Amino acid sequence: MTGLVWLCRRETLRVSKLWTQTILAPVISSILFILVFGLSLGGRIDQVSSVDYEVFIVPGLITMGMVQAAYANNASSIFQARFDRYIHDVLSAPLPAWQVALGFTVGGIFRALAIGGSLLLLSVIFVGVPVEQPFALIAAVALGLVLFSALGVVVGIYAETWDHTTFISNIVILPLAFVGGVFYSIEVLPSPWEELSHFNPVFYLVNAVRFGFLGESDVSIWLSLAVVAALAVPVYAWSQWLFTTGRRLKD
Amino acid sequence: MPSCSAGAAAVDSLVWVFRDDPALSLRGLTKCYSDGTLALEKFDLEIPSGAFFGLLGPNGAGKTTLISAVCNLLRVSSGEIRVFGEPHDTLTARSWIGLAEQDINLDRFLTVRETLMYHGGYFGMKDPGPRADELVAAFGLEHKRDTRAPRLSGGQRRRLLLARALMHRPRLVILDEPTAGVDYELRMELWRYIRQLHSEGTTILLTTHYLEEAEELCDEIGLIRDGHLIARDTASGLREHFGGERLEDVYVNAMSS
Repeated sequence: MTGLVWLCRRETLRVSKLWTQTILAPVISSILFILVFGLSLGGRIDQVSSVDYEVFIVPGLITMGMVQAAYANNASSIFQARFDRYIHDVLSAPLPAWQVALGFTVGGIFRALAIGGSLLLLSVIFVGVPVEQPFALIAAVALGLVLFSALGVVVGIYAETWDHTTFISNIVILPLAFVGGVFYSIEVLPSPWEELSHFNPVFYLVNAVRFGFLGESDVSIWLSLAVVAALAVPVYAWSQWLFTTGRRLKD
Repeated sequence: MPSCSAGAAAVDSLVWVFRDDPALSLRGLTKCYSDGTLALEKFDLEIPSGAFFGLLGPNGAGKTTLISAVCNLLRVSSGEIRVFGEPHDTLTARSWIGLAEQDINLDRFLTVRETLMYHGGYFGMKDPGPRADELVAAFGLEHKRDTRAPRLSGGQRRRLLLARALMHRPRLVILDEPTAGVDYELRMELWRYIRQLHSEGTTILLTTHYLEEAEELCDEIGLIRDGHLIARDTASGLREHFGGERLEDVYVNAMSS
């Protein structure tokens, strides 16, 4: 396990060395969303799901910040390592594939937790967001971070240019998060948008996290966790399969 | 007086020298890339333990493909690779190989010392600090120990690359054109490190374009062309076989035959 520990250390060290870029910038960006949307619009919008609007949007914004960071961190870390070929140092080492997959996944999870923890602290201070269901929150965050960290690993391995890594973030994850109920409850949507929202996987993650914070959500917490888990398991297995077979990593 | 670690290293060296298994054994190794390029075809090679073996050949002959195959950096099409008797893709075999690649591939986020420490960690060293410090000193990088790789000069990077390959005390060191593009002084310095390594019992596989380098350092030289080993012998044996006073003449004759 020594190799795994050092690979995890390397991935977290990278996040720490670039902390202004990897942690501070996304925290500032998310907290601005909370302050600008929540405090400026909150007074003009009635309560949503029986909570104040500035409190309602916090779980979704924290989720969005964390999943984007988990994905982007791993996609860029792996792509950089492939691009500069220093990934050879890891691929030639006596590390089993499962340890390599886990080690590269840890960086994204570490970065996302640093961002999520900071945002939680600031949200408690600024808008007094509660944590009603901590165990549900932990489960939702764990599954969501495995899903998006592993997705980052997969995309980092398949990407041929930097644009490929940012494409998934800007064209897939961000839009899905925006229409996944970060800023609103899907109950307010007219048909068929409300029904279509149920096909958005980020919607279930946002709702699971919101349940953890507020104790209520648009759909059952069990359904939300099941959907996120049903995606996290195959995506993680995909990332490990890539390291096991060497596909896209070895000619 | 030798230290404990030096004594242990000496014992290890004896074990290496007297093992029967060859350091590297390739049987029918074939690599066909996805674009159809046949880089190696039914390639056989055996390098005895403790040898200093040079591999010479033009660009595209298959040298780097061969090295990448041994180091698990590419998927071979067919054939068998064994390292000291172990299949090359086992964790044990991997821990016995040290690789310094032709291109500088250092982790841009790590300092000199961290580069060595993390490499040692990946290779299972529980406390890589003392070994890292030893190599930092041995390769004259003390004043750069906390400098990140992109800020090093070309020569310093090349030295760090070699130090990294030696960090986990590998039994087989593979050097892919280690002196390509370096000045005369650094080349002599690298030769000195490599010679010392070999004298300690480490098996070395060296690829190079510099014929005098192969002649100066290697016990035996293999000539590779179009994915096939066309000859292997000592430098004098090759001269005798292919004719020519200098190794350059041998090389030209062999490649055009």
